Amino acid sequence: MIKIMHVEDDDDIREIAEMALSLSGEFEVVQCVSGEAALARAPDYHPDVLLLDMMMPGMTGSETLEHLRKMPHMANVPAIFMTARAQHADIEQLRDNGAADVISKPFDPMTLGDQIKEILQAQVGQVCGLRPVA
Amino acid sequence: MTLIRDTDLQQFAGDDLTMFDFKLADTAPVLVGIMLGAGWYAGVTSLLSFPAAPLIAATGGVALAAIGAGVVAVRQTARRHAQLLLPMQRKLQALEAHCVVSMVDTDGLLKDVNDLMLDLTGYKRADLIGQPVEVLYDREDKALAARIRSQICEGRTWQGETRLKDASGRQIFTQTTIMPLTGRGGTVSGSISVRTNTTHINQLLAKHHTMDTLNELRDDVWIVNAGDWRISYLNHAARTRLGCADGELPREALEEVAYGAKLCDVMRACRALQGSGDSGTRLEIVHDGVPLHVSIKQLGTPQAGARFLILMTDISDQIAQDRRKSEFVSTVSHELRAPLTSIKGALGLLLGSEDLKVPDKALALLEIAHRSSDRLILIINDILDLDKISHGEMLIEMQDTDVASLVQETHAAMQILQERFDVVVEVTGADAPLPFLTDPNRFIQVLTNLLSNACKFSPQGGRVTIEIEDNPDHVRVSVQDEGAGIPAAERCKIFQRFADMTNSDRVAKGGTGLGLSICKAIVENMGGSIGFQTREGAGTNFYFTLPRAVRAMPAPVLAATNSGRTIEGPQ
Repeated sequence: MIKIMHVEDDDDIREIAEMALSLSGEFEVVQCVSGEAALARAPDYHPDVLLLDMMMPGMTGSETLEHLRKMPHMANVPAIFMTARAQHADIEQLRDNGAADVISKPFDPMTLGDQIKEILQAQVGQVCGLRPVA
Repeated sequence: MTLIRDTDLQQFAGDDLTMFDFKLADTAPVLVGIMLGAGWYAGVTSLLSFPAAPLIAATGGVALAAIGAGVVAVRQTARRHAQLLLPMQRKLQALEAHCVVSMVDTDGLLKDVNDLMLDLTGYKRADLIGQPVEVLYDREDKALAARIRSQICEGRTWQGETRLKDASGRQIFTQTTIMPLTGRGGTVSGSISVRTNTTHINQLLAKHHTMDTLNELRDDVWIVNAGDWRISYLNHAARTRLGCADGELPREALEEVAYGAKLCDVMRACRALQGSGDSGTRLEIVHDGVPLHVSIKQLGTPQAGARFLILMTDISDQIAQDRRKSEFVSTVSHELRAPLTSIKGALGLLLGSEDLKVPDKALALLEIAHRSSDRLILIINDILDLDKISHGEMLIEMQDTDVASLVQETHAAMQILQERFDVVVEVTGADAPLPFLTDPNRFIQVLTNLLSNACKFSPQGGRVTIEIEDNPDHVRVSVQDEGAGIPAAERCKIFQRFADMTNSDRVAKGGTGLGLSICKAIVENMGGSIGFQTREGAGTNFYFTLPRAVRAMPAPVLAATNSGRTIEGPQ
């Protein structure tokens, strides 16, 4: 089971992502409505991957990641950004800021799980010490 | 020829006009009359002895004296007339020498024109006499000529500016007075026009007005002589920028002025323009923190004293406005994507999940909604791309790439579209690696668009062929379909925005109408060209070419392209 912390302010998108990821039965999803909520939940949760919306009121996805990275158990957790501004330059900037990859919105719910797994596998290939993903 | 002749005046005033010894002439008839009267009296009284003789003699004497006085009176009247007419004659001569005079009859036909009219217009007298007066008027004042004539027919004088044209068609401005000529009983028998040529004054005023306007401009206006690089004109804004007082020009050459004012880029652009043979150039600079758009125009020829006209416009507001617009477009697009994510996600789950039992009829409707959401996403992406293109912000990242593998990838990604439109897509010429310098994402975007169009416009069961041609100096990628071809009337606007066929056709095929214009911008930004060959009923071949990279790419690098890149084919 892959544990995902999903941070997204849009209720509908959170629900669709959760439904999409639950289809295969391979994911356990913890939902957070904001960056602040994620920071509050993070000490008690050890996710395998962070799924962060980029544009959120309050803390942005990047700011949320910056704060999460300060927690020792979050320091190396792969972070995937989801953004509607998936222009090439934006994606490059997010990668520079520590994103494992970027999934552009609107995403295909039927392939969302596979996309996340592919990104995680690519990470495992690049960085030693991470747990292999099933 | 003159319209007002001396002889006319002399005839009117009599021969006395030339007599100037008025005093002597006036007293002589009176003296003669008195002498004749006295002689008559003396003679008659000495010769006649009847009682009435003195009376007859006296009467005769008085009569003779009266005749003398009458002659004096007539001469004095003639003299007064002469005194009045002489200045009038001179005035008319002066008018004749200064003004353009013409006479028109009641039918509006020219009866007479003076020499100045001929000098001014370049016509011969025979060209004008008997012609409608409108022939003298400029095209823009033909209607005015009709209004003037109407006023003259009512017996009223007209005054104002009229625009005539000369024999070569040049415009002549005249200040004009047109008076009706009246015959017996006060009926209008024609008109006389007296004009002053004000063309030069108008030009001076226009020039003056232009200079005033230039001075009031917020933009800097500089005029520089190309020969010695001296500044010959600066408007108020330019003087302020350079710290010059009004009426003063810098004594230094442009190079020193530009260096002192930190405008060296402008100087360099002028020098480059002088050597290029181009007529103008544009550049954007930042001066004292203010973004300026500089437009340089080369005026005249080296032989005729070439000059540079330099215009500098503060574009701070424009840049801020563009930024706001761009942010607006970006924000709106983002805000549209958020609900679209939910719509597309929900529809995708309904259509894709086996656990959810959706009736067939509902499934068909869901597929329509899903396709429409896909189309909306394409439109938003295209609008964002166009916004970047129009701001010159389209990011092109050229890198060594195997274009053969890009073609194969695109072909594979478009499988769904092939199935949807029931067409077969074949690839030729992509068997071996083909190294090229290009932006792989943009390459795929262009090919996807062309391939998508080919599939949409192909008949059911049709064949679409992607072909790569490896030429010495360029690579050519073409997409051939078996569709109906592009109608002749549509061909010239095929790369314009929203121009792919009619709207109804575009909507039916799921296009945005922006794709080809975006493709053109992308290909041209990569240094290539795009075009098509079409024949109605026989299909269309869209192609684009890219110039060959100078540097050859080592083979092992080819396999390492595309990491992390996403290919978004139509879904």
